[in-house]
Amino acid sequence: MTIALIAGSGMAGRAAALTLRRVGWTGEIVLVGDDPEYPYDRPPLSKSVVVGTADMSKVIKPAPEVYEQDGIDLRRGVTVTVADASAKTAELSDGSTVAWDALVLATGCAPRQLPIPGLELPGVHRVTRLDEALEIQSVLATGPKHLAIIGGGFIGMEVAAAAVAAGHTATVLEAAPKPMSRPLGPEVAERVLQWAMDRGVVVRAGVGVEQVSGDDIATGVRLVGGEEIDADLMIVAVGQTPRLELAQQLGCEEIVGGIKVDAGMRTSVADVYAVGDIAAFPSKWADEDRIRVEHAAVAIGHGQVAAEQIATGEGRYDDLPSFWSDQGDLTLNVVGVARPDDEIVWRGDHALPACTAFYLREGKMRAAFSVSDMKTLRGVRKLFAAGVSPTPEQLADPAVDLAALAAAG
Amino acid sequence: MTQVSIGSLSDFPEGTPTRVEADGTALCIVRVGDTVHAICDDCPHAEASLSEGDFLADDMAIECPLHGSAFNLTTGDPDCPPATEAVEVFTVTVDGDSVLVDV
Repeated sequence: MTIALIAGSGMAGRAAALTLRRVGWTGEIVLVGDDPEYPYDRPPLSKSVVVGTADMSKVIKPAPEVYEQDGIDLRRGVTVTVADASAKTAELSDGSTVAWDALVLATGCAPRQLPIPGLELPGVHRVTRLDEALEIQSVLATGPKHLAIIGGGFIGMEVAAAAVAAGHTATVLEAAPKPMSRPLGPEVAERVLQWAMDRGVVVRAGVGVEQVSGDDIATGVRLVGGEEIDADLMIVAVGQTPRLELAQQLGCEEIVGGIKVDAGMRTSVADVYAVGDIAAFPSKWADEDRIRVEHAAVAIGHGQVAAEQIATGEGRYDDLPSFWSDQGDLTLNVVGVARPDDEIVWRGDHALPACTAFYLREGKMRAAFSVSDMKTLRGVRKLFAAGVSPTPEQLADPAVDLAALAAAG
Repeated sequence: MTQVSIGSLSDFPEGTPTRVEADGTALCIVRVGDTVHAICDDCPHAEASLSEGDFLADDMAIECPLHGSAFNLTTGDPDCPPATEAVEVFTVTVDGDSVLVDV
């Protein structure tokens, strides 16, 4: 019997396991994850889960019985501790040893650690795992609260927007002068920030957090310079770093802070695949040799391709990268690979309720950012698929039908 | 499996997604000519009501209003990320003027 071992039960690992069966793999599937919960979707954690509006049957999915039906040996709360590429064995934290034929590394990221005193106090939360998001939910359920959110990235802004929409108040503290500038570019980021503030989120950018205040329980934060900000609960969302230890043990080649893979998600080590956050993969949509993307849709696509490779020897990941961020009533969609220094062209005016911005580099459209403008977004996807890049003037003109331009070639 | 009446043909304007509840199941109904399609109204990707999305006649699909995956009315399959799972497709019978769905 051949065995596929999947290290990591996040979105990429889960997709790999489920896809293996779907594409006809008849070998054993061992899916190992350090999370004690059944595999779940991560994006809702910072949105509907923290404020308690999520339908949990759509977050924890598939239903637990599917693993048994599909013959997936899911081991929750277990990690791969040692992996050997030449013997093709792995030791697991439950004491067992697995002799694998294919190994999928889906180890994801670990939350970044900040050297701030007081982070260990009760009342300081993270939102990287379901149990953590549910803890926040139970606190918010007791009545209106004031949240201090350390970190003004997508996760922090999503939690803030969801909390404010649910009747709480939130202050976001971000060290960088312009939050979200790296993924969105400064011009678009400024708009998104303004929209959040218009909705009542307080954003303090360019501030350092010196410590979390409080003796037995966190009562607020003290900023560099001495200012105190009181809060009922604190949420730390300051980014994450890829977990590469297992891949490094196996001797996988690294590049751009991740594990180098080909379009079939194969690492430099035979029969070892890397997927999701840790994978540095080739993309025809990027200028770089390899890119690393920490977003759900990409992780799932990686898992599916790795599974196809294991089962059939075929399959390439060449999806147009995309991600979304739900911030209260606003849904941001980004397709393509944007860089912070790209030239921005807005389509028409850049006012809500619906608008789109294009990212241009060397005169070519590289990405698009859209809020509630599905028609334009669909046109953009068609343009990318057709390999057509309109002129900046065409992109800027709302009267120009982008889908028609794509069809015309 | 029960067959449930969800109304008459004239209740469903051509090409306009409409949400109906049939025996506790939320459905997104689209009429195209004399054919009526029914898919699950809940986007499998996130919390969105597909009947609030647009009908894409060229693709015979419903576009999720939040993140843009379009679901084929016959197969239920999404055409692009972020959705990766198909929506459930329900069998519709048009009997004279009345529309019946197997749920």
